[in-house]
Amino acid sequence: MKKRVIALILAALIAALTFSLAGCGSKTDTPSTDEPGTAARTMFTMGIDPEYPPFSYLGDDGTYTGFDVDVCKAVCDYLGWDFNVFAVNWDQKLIQLDNNECDCVWSGMTILDSMKESGYVISRPYFDNEQVLLVKADSGFKSSADLAGKDVAVQLGTSGESLLNDDLKDLADTFGNVVTCDSFLKCFTELEGNAVDAVFVDRPVADNYVAEHDGFVIIDEDLGAEQYGIAFRSGDAELCAQVESAIDALVANGTYAEIAAKYDDIDEGNLLFLK
Amino acid sequence: MSVLAMSNIQKSFGSNHVLKDITFHVDKGEVVSIIGPSGSGKSTLLRCATFLETIDSGTITYDDKNAAETVNGKAVYAKNLNDFRHIFGLVFQNFNLFPHYSVLKNMMDAPVSVLHRDKNEVREECMALLEKMDLAGKADAYPCELSGGQQQRVSIVRALAMKPEILFFDEPTSALDPELTGEVLKVIKQLADEKMTMVIVTHEMPFARAVSDRVVFMDKGVVVEQGRPEELFGQTQNERTKQFLQNYSNT
Amino acid sequence: MTLLNIIIKMAEGLEKTCAIFFLTLLFAIPLGMIIALLRGSKFKVISAIARAYISVLRGTPLMLQLIAVTYGPYYLFGISISRNKLIPVVIAFTINYAAYFAEIYRSGIDSMPVGQYEAAQVLGYSKIQTFFKIILPQVIRRILPSLTNEIVTLVKDTSMAFTVSYQEMFTIGKQIANSQTSFVPFVVAGVFYYVFNAVVGFVMGRVEKKMSYYKI
Repeated sequence: MKKRVIALILAALIAALTFSLAGCGSKTDTPSTDEPGTAARTMFTMGIDPEYPPFSYLGDDGTYTGFDVDVCKAVCDYLGWDFNVFAVNWDQKLIQLDNNECDCVWSGMTILDSMKESGYVISRPYFDNEQVLLVKADSGFKSSADLAGKDVAVQLGTSGESLLNDDLKDLADTFGNVVTCDSFLKCFTELEGNAVDAVFVDRPVADNYVAEHDGFVIIDEDLGAEQYGIAFRSGDAELCAQVESAIDALVANGTYAEIAAKYDDIDEGNLLFLK
Repeated sequence: MSVLAMSNIQKSFGSNHVLKDITFHVDKGEVVSIIGPSGSGKSTLLRCATFLETIDSGTITYDDKNAAETVNGKAVYAKNLNDFRHIFGLVFQNFNLFPHYSVLKNMMDAPVSVLHRDKNEVREECMALLEKMDLAGKADAYPCELSGGQQQRVSIVRALAMKPEILFFDEPTSALDPELTGEVLKVIKQLADEKMTMVIVTHEMPFARAVSDRVVFMDKGVVVEQGRPEELFGQTQNERTKQFLQNYSNT
Repeated sequence: MTLLNIIIKMAEGLEKTCAIFFLTLLFAIPLGMIIALLRGSKFKVISAIARAYISVLRGTPLMLQLIAVTYGPYYLFGISISRNKLIPVVIAFTINYAAYFAEIYRSGIDSMPVGQYEAAQVLGYSKIQTFFKIILPQVIRRILPSLTNEIVTLVKDTSMAFTVSYQEMFTIGKQIANSQTSFVPFVVAGVFYYVFNAVVGFVMGRVEKKMSYYKI
């Protein structure tokens, strides 16, 4: 009797292990997404950072919203796909994409060379972004030089963090501490509560925050120019092209501009598809 | 002079009236055995005498000083109860040695840390006591390494190390295998011969008869009869005492 | 980044992991004892407060408590968030682990035979002497295995300090993993935790052995 139970448990363990390994390696289907490259796609799952206003965030009505979410919804409507949202863990987003937990990462994501090198299919850039420093209005900080010896927060896994580790390493070294938080809202909380002196963040996110909260200003200094794009799995060039042409169609029929108009913090001059 | 005097002791556990107006005393040098059926209140009497249970009313005096008296029908205990605790020692049915202390430390710790006596002096006394009780080789042993009989003998010397004026025994052999009771009874007998004042609650009738100056028979919370052992065991006229002793010799 | 570099960088964070671990033990072990004693108090109000404390701290996630301790004072009273995150992190870990320790102590104290108290009382020990000389040493002996369990869990729980942006070893590992798109830092973290716990297990084993010179 005992032996049988042990054998059963072992069998279950082995089955579970094989299953999960297969999931990692051979990209089998999970219920949330369709088979990659299938012609008759019926469902499309976008991966977002759910705490990234105005591009993707939890709206007042309890559903995900934001500029990227609205555009993706319109794309799905246009292509006749069922629209789905999956909130990724931002510092694990590409692993989750590989794992078929979503079909793309589309959430104010900065295009990095390392992504292309790793083989991910990246869409045409759709947004011109820059990294800025957000500080308290009464702090008197006017430039990044004023922040020498001060503490700066940045979200883990963002391009801002990568910049501080690479291109802006010299600047980062002048800061007292670089504090990595697991979401931008935590970065802002730290700033509000005086635990840090500045937050290093994407321009539209900072604009959005300044618009909604009193007492914060953006240091007017371009620290890093970059562009947003949509990331797909390495075999999904066709899917990427489908989405891109759908966006083109939305631009042509005016839907895209309509959506952009809903978000005051997004400067239309930075939306590359409108150019 | 009475070392211990208890008078008009009342004690109830809830609705269970365990001690009904008991009056009891022990004189210096006297060995008193308390016998009686289970539930007769004899252990409770001992626990009241050692303050492990609080009495409802009555008076307890040690050396003519009040440890507990009754004010407006309720028992009031003396503030300096710990001073009274130094007068007596208690040997438990299941030893209650401190398992994390060696035999010597079990004996020495209370005299040193409670009575604040000199450590070396206490050690010498304790070693002499162990020698006397045939336990000299066990000074550094831990209680778990000893047989039940040895453990009970250690708990007796632990009580003696405090130099009490009176020593109480609460069924000292009940937890022991029959073949181990002898060594414990031998020690108690030895103490009786040295005129140690003792109160022994016991079921060992032949032993009680042999060692006691006086035997107290308790039943249902009252002292039914007391007297010299040969009177009580030999020629009692009391029906309840007779019946108890008869039941006892049958088993 | 070479494997050696990854290990060195993460080892730097290990210092903070250790700080959380040792400071939490330092404060939670005595605090847990105080709570256990309050819980056993004769005064119903005090006992009820201690029970409520244990119930809330055990019934809510540590992560939530970390956030509450770190950001709560700012949102509720406008008190600045501490720059040295070690302070709120250790406070949160301490109050959480003290609740668990308190229950372990209580089980140990409850398992003590009443005869030990009675023997001490008859020998004239004061209540404080009885507790520290007679009861506590035996309680520790009894609860050591459960205590070891909690301490092993504590080692692993230190990674939760990341929630409030405290840069301990696992946070640094995540940063490296992210910038290098590599799983290696997670493997390194796993090895670090395993070795840490192996040391904890060894030390606690020695202590247990040292205390097992007597049978209970």
